[in-house]
Amino acid sequence: MNGWILAATVALGTGLGTALWGVATGPLRRRVVAQNMSTALACPALLLLSQGYARPSYVDLALVLALLGPVGTLVFARLLADDLADDPPRAWGVTWVVAGFGAVVVGAVCAATGPSPEMVKLLVIGALLIGGNVLASRALSGGFPGAGRG
Amino acid sequence: MADAVIVVVLLLVGATATTAVAVRDPERQALVLSVLGVVLAVLFTVLQAPDVGLSQLAVGSALTPLLLLLTVRKVRRRAQDKGRQE
Amino acid sequence: MSRRARLWLVAVGGGALAALLVAACLDLPAFGGTRHPYGDRAVRESLARHTANTIASINFDQRAFDTLGEISILFAAVLGCVVLLRQTRDEHRARPEPEPVALPVRRYALAVLPVALLTGLYVIAHGQLSPGGGFQGGVVAATSLHLLYLGADYRALERIRPVGLYEVGDALAVSAYLVTGIAGLIGGTAFLANTLLPYGTFNTLSSGGTVPLLNAAVGMEVACAVVVLLARFLDQAVEIEEGK
Repeated sequence: MNGWILAATVALGTGLGTALWGVATGPLRRRVVAQNMSTALACPALLLLSQGYARPSYVDLALVLALLGPVGTLVFARLLADDLADDPPRAWGVTWVVAGFGAVVVGAVCAATGPSPEMVKLLVIGALLIGGNVLASRALSGGFPGAGRG
Repeated sequence: MADAVIVVVLLLVGATATTAVAVRDPERQALVLSVLGVVLAVLFTVLQAPDVGLSQLAVGSALTPLLLLLTVRKVRRRAQDKGRQE
Repeated sequence: MSRRARLWLVAVGGGALAALLVAACLDLPAFGGTRHPYGDRAVRESLARHTANTIASINFDQRAFDTLGEISILFAAVLGCVVLLRQTRDEHRARPEPEPVALPVRRYALAVLPVALLTGLYVIAHGQLSPGGGFQGGVVAATSLHLLYLGADYRALERIRPVGLYEVGDALAVSAYLVTGIAGLIGGTAFLANTLLPYGTFNTLSSGGTVPLLNAAVGMEVACAVVVLLARFLDQAVEIEEGK
């Protein structure tokens, strides 16, 4: 076990554990934020695992999660807009902390990879991950103002 | 020691799957199910099965919640229409 | 059969199954051992056919017939959904009103759509090299189209999604898989045998013989099937209402 896998284990255990707690309890506004955070945390963890196992092709999983994770949150934001309209989530603190964690992980993995086509792919994943999750948070707190008609 | 990550993720899968069964409201269940999809994909990755993990991510992160929530919306709307007629 | 007898039957059957499963588990090789008789043979075969991703070699070469069964299941399942979720005589279509979407969400959806579509095609095309393949890439590509529903409105999605065309595409892709298999028969070997095409250079896009072709067929089939399936669900949830 190397440092990368250890970091991934800690991130998964604490981060996804907290996200599971958030998604299982409390009002709906907390649950949707926890769902968004679970994808935002799992994607950097997959990058750490790919680096830890020294298998660059595993990065594809992080790429797909960085693309489809926010899309999944958009699905909830759109189809639960009625329920969220009365009590919209306000969780910018958590969102930026998790986005910062994603940025740190992408930076560290990039530094370990060195300048190469793989690094460009990692940077694309980082941009999709952080942009997607910040946007998904925005969509949850009032992204669909005329809820539930279409 | 090298298997610690497998144990952690396996425990997460067990806890998430139990939660998915225990939650009763279908919309909230869909939220837990989407987290379960992500955790399962990580489990497949740490067990060195990235192909399966990728399938799980592709299906579980957007497609399954969309199908579930559309079904819930249809059922609710039908119940509302029935209520209006009576 | 009385309720009591049924319960007894379930208890006996379940107990026996549990006992057999426990016995089988006790006899399993230890976790993470070094002896992998099936794995070693599968890796040897896939390397002999210049396929870098052994899983793709198993799915589309060594056990391509299994995959034919799987895509037939998906085809039949989607066909069943289309029949079940059709518009019946006592239902009518209401035009859905466009939903207001916050500007950043709309911009994000329109910007990510082409990226996700491209990623889907990338995953399909690299199936013989890295994790992924027709199924995974097809689902990603089909999901990406529905960003139009999420970020704009249902009518925008309907404009780029003539469902009939996707139904034809679905059927054509399954046929393409069959034709590739029959080509093996005509070429003098077995159904779906990977002997027709040159194996190419290891770890390049054109390696693996028929594996990339079958991957492309499955990718098209899955993408079309998911689009048709979601179209039926969306029709029911958004457009079709009861009463004339």
